[in-house]
Amino acid sequence: MKNNKNHDILKPGEILVLFIMKNILNFLLEVGKLKRKKRRGWILHQIKNPETTAEHIFHLTILVWTLGKEKKLNLERAIKMALVHDLCEVYAPDLTPYDPLLPKDKKKIMVALKQWPKFTLALKRKKEKEKSEMELRSLDKLILKLPKELKIEMKNLWIDFEKGLTKEGRFVKQADKIINFLQGIEYWKKYGKIQHKLWMRWIKEIIDDPVLIKFIKTIEKKFY
Amino acid sequence: MIGEKKFYLTQQGVEKIKKEYQDFKKLKLAKVAGEVPKIWQSEDINPEYLSFQEDLSFLEARMSELENVLKNLEIIKIPPKGRQNTINLGAQIIVKVNGQTDEFEIVGSLEANPSLGKISNESPVGSALLGHQVGDEVFVSSPIKTTYKIKKIRYLVS
Repeated sequence: MKNNKNHDILKPGEILVLFIMKNILNFLLEVGKLKRKKRRGWILHQIKNPETTAEHIFHLTILVWTLGKEKKLNLERAIKMALVHDLCEVYAPDLTPYDPLLPKDKKKIMVALKQWPKFTLALKRKKEKEKSEMELRSLDKLILKLPKELKIEMKNLWIDFEKGLTKEGRFVKQADKIINFLQGIEYWKKYGKIQHKLWMRWIKEIIDDPVLIKFIKTIEKKFY
Repeated sequence: MIGEKKFYLTQQGVEKIKKEYQDFKKLKLAKVAGEVPKIWQSEDINPEYLSFQEDLSFLEARMSELENVLKNLEIIKIPPKGRQNTINLGAQIIVKVNGQTDEFEIVGSLEANPSLGKISNESPVGSALLGHQVGDEVFVSSPIKTTYKIKKIRYLVS
């Protein structure tokens, strides 16, 4: 006798809902991989049990929420942007400013990290373009089967973050550097393996948001 | 009353923003009329534009940003010859930082892109360098002493 279970006689609308649910489930399973993806910059610095990409995203989102209140930002947009900004790393490699200069020999890597990486302007442009294109391809692959509106929203937020098109985009982009800097300073205090002088120099060249500049001074007071 | 923030842009940057604004205006009108204008069907279109095509709120947010910039912009001009030995907006400079040579361009906040060597005039380093000349040593206030020795200044702003 044929076993006619309910799911065998679903209406078209219900099938569509199940299809959407299945695609969201697959998306979440892929995104969940970021909970286990250790950030490469810290691995290169030989940090034990380093931060994962998901932990970095969590930390950035909290920073954007708390410091974003200081500015007249669209916080919903900014927080969603922080959540989306590194999702591409499910498939894209986690590149560091030192790529592609790093030697293969692990011992030599620590030596290379003692100097800030130097590139010609032409190579800087090429690196940026390639990185951005690769990350966009990865994001496209990740969100491909999500419902159309969600897909468009995620892609727009990522592009805004990458290009700094709105005040939220510019703030979150710089906040991303600050939270990375803060993690570096924490590791420096704990393990001493981070070239904190280079990091301090770098952060003062790249941040121009007044709220984030004040925050750097607060970090300095706390850790120095 | 606090004045509106000024946006310093190169002439090239201004042209880019004006064009973008005009393109978005056409897109918005077309969207309201339920059409897609021809420019959006071109193959060489900037990929970031495509994302605006289907999201009116994002398009409006960007247009509002651009309107604010166009209303409050100041174009970066090459200083007269006698003042080209001083770092100002638009200067391309070669510096020695703690023994390492580096190259920057000092630009306004909107055109800043540190990974391409474009440093904002509002960043701690950018603002410290302004007004200095070749041979000067600039110290950036920080718990870590960083010295920027200025080796060369030139202006190529169009």
